Amino acid sequence: MPGPEHYVALSALLFTIGAVGVLVRRNAIVLFMCIELMLNAANLALVTFARLHGDLNGQVMAFFVMVVAAAEVVVGLAIIMLIFRTRRSASVDDSNLLKY
Amino acid sequence: MTTDFQLPAIDYQAISPLLILFGVACLGVLVEAFVPRPARRRVQLGMALVGVLAALGAVVLLAGTNVVTAGGSVTVDGPALFMQGALLAFGVVALLLIGERRVEPGGAFVAQPAITVGSEADQRQASAPGATEVFPLAMFSLGGMALFIAASDLLTMFIALELLSLPLYLMCALARRHRLISQEAAVKYFLLGAYASGFFLFGVVLAYGYAGSVDLAAIHAAVDTSQMNPALLYAALALIVMGLLFKTAAAPFHVWAPDVYQGAPTPITAFMAACTKVAAFGALLRVTYVAFERLAWDWLPVIGVIAVLTMLVGAVLAVTQTDLKRLLAYSSIANAGFVLVGVLAVGRTGASSAMFYLVAYGFAVLGAFAVISLVRDREGETTHLSRWAGLGRRSPLVAGVFTVVMLALAGIPLTGGFTAKFAVFSAALEVGEGWLVIAGVVSSVIIAFPYLRVVVMMWLSEPSESTATMVAPGLLTGTALGIGALAVVGLGVVPGPVLDLAHDAALFLR
Amino acid sequence: MEGYLGSYATLGLLLLAGVLFLAAAFGANRLLRPARPANPPGKTEAYECGLDPVGGDWAQAQIRYYVYAYLFVIFAVEAVFLFPWAVIYADPGFGIAAVVEMGIFVGVLALGILYAWRRRVLRWT
Repeated sequence: MPGPEHYVALSALLFTIGAVGVLVRRNAIVLFMCIELMLNAANLALVTFARLHGDLNGQVMAFFVMVVAAAEVVVGLAIIMLIFRTRRSASVDDSNLLKY
Repeated sequence: MTTDFQLPAIDYQAISPLLILFGVACLGVLVEAFVPRPARRRVQLGMALVGVLAALGAVVLLAGTNVVTAGGSVTVDGPALFMQGALLAFGVVALLLIGERRVEPGGAFVAQPAITVGSEADQRQASAPGATEVFPLAMFSLGGMALFIAASDLLTMFIALELLSLPLYLMCALARRHRLISQEAAVKYFLLGAYASGFFLFGVVLAYGYAGSVDLAAIHAAVDTSQMNPALLYAALALIVMGLLFKTAAAPFHVWAPDVYQGAPTPITAFMAACTKVAAFGALLRVTYVAFERLAWDWLPVIGVIAVLTMLVGAVLAVTQTDLKRLLAYSSIANAGFVLVGVLAVGRTGASSAMFYLVAYGFAVLGAFAVISLVRDREGETTHLSRWAGLGRRSPLVAGVFTVVMLALAGIPLTGGFTAKFAVFSAALEVGEGWLVIAGVVSSVIIAFPYLRVVVMMWLSEPSESTATMVAPGLLTGTALGIGALAVVGLGVVPGPVLDLAHDAALFLR
Repeated sequence: MEGYLGSYATLGLLLLAGVLFLAAAFGANRLLRPARPANPPGKTEAYECGLDPVGGDWAQAQIRYYVYAYLFVIFAVEAVFLFPWAVIYADPGFGIAAVVEMGIFVGVLALGILYAWRRRVLRWT
């Protein structure tokens, strides 16, 4: 039987995959998916800790995180769309007008 | 089912500034929907200004309040009120800059940002009046910042963080001129900001795992009593502080700042530089002083190294800049380091010096960006240093204001910058953090050079063909400039009242 | 590995092992993968199962789809608050206050749809 510590470890793993993914990938949409993965890892840990502490607040917080993530999706996709339509590319390497 | 549910008591007066800000923001959305287009800008600007001033009035009326309300999610105490007051004062000035339409025909914002840059429809809207959605966006962002400072549990803090960030990401993309750069800044800011808030959130979750609650006071209590693995606590502290330091633009989390400051429309850059900094430091002070104070010996050296790094990176890279907006971005990074020195002098003096620094810096940087929005050529704003040579001969008054602001940022005596630097350094010396002061003084000297170079170029060079023109400021920008310059000089000549106010306010309620 | 500094040596060793591990992993990755992973040949071509692609993959889509999708995402997800509320709002102790609070919440959301409606993004043609 997996115990709570396994879920926490899984969530830490997911979070790390997301965090490393943001650093090594180049497509803005993929970066964005990695960030969402980080948020969902946080959700998993929240629910696990809620169970561990016998406290419902953690589950309610997971709701809040989901809603915030949705708002972030809308704002983020709108901005990425905006830049994609002018440049025909979602690679962050091509966004290079600003440097130094 | 349980039946002993009690609605949390809400002290409506204590949260009235927040309610006013959010109420005006929601009304702003309604205005956008129902008021005819020609009248919108006046209505929006008037409503936003009245709203922010009313909220400021509410904050003043609340002076001396010390309550935790709304089910333990909002703390209204001295530091919260002081920084909300500063935030709202900056908000008024930033709104004046956002509302300006005289300098650039139609304003600094584009009407339909979704239209592809360079298309025919885009050329048609080139001189159309700009979007008025920035006002509700700015109000939501201001409300989020005010909540961020006063949040007394980490979940509220996270929601406030998103609430202040999301409108900022959008506003970054709205520039009328140089829109490709502006959109690129928005993408960079969004991706990095969302990344940082992911770290912040995971830190919140780990703190919840450790303490069984996200309440700051409960975390403080759990530091001694919790049975959980302390690794959770340290990881939580590291991740939360990382998320907050990102918003303050401290090295090594500063890489977004220069690009975003340069790309965003200048009024929004001013708004970000002054207001976001106050909000982020307010939250950082609250988290470190209230929740993690017992770990101070663990985080002091780490944040100390970050502070030194921030000051030096900001100062050294500012020297190499040729673009004024980028220069001010690096200066804002260096200044984040100076405020951190105040934060690290844990205690009442440290907190009050950091708060005073934020006030002095905010007014100076608002004044600086107000001037930048006035120096233009046919392409829009000209921010390259060489184009500013000789401006002092052409428009002595505005160049004079810019000189005062630059001297304040450089920390020359008789300006707010000097008093502020003196306050943070003496607070750090008082608690025996001499190494921070040494690094601070060294980087103050380094960063004085680029500021003074701009001043020398403006006054001592002859105006030439390539010198940009200074547009006469309209009423709104003129007022903003006046407020900025007066505040900078006032804080330098008679700093006593504000210093005392900061000192009286600098006790956190746990 | 003794004494006060010994524990730091362990930490240093761990850091070193971490750096080596990362370097090895990324190095192996670099050796094995195609030279330009962002655009290998054929990546941007349309994929049609078992057949040679016909025509380009670039189709113009109505921008309205995006607006609808954005609105849907927001409103669908906000419903997570409605479900728990709908289960308990009639229980004793909640009463009119719970109804009013949800009314405020839905009212704020309604502002968004009102704005979208007035900006005529809901009209299809």
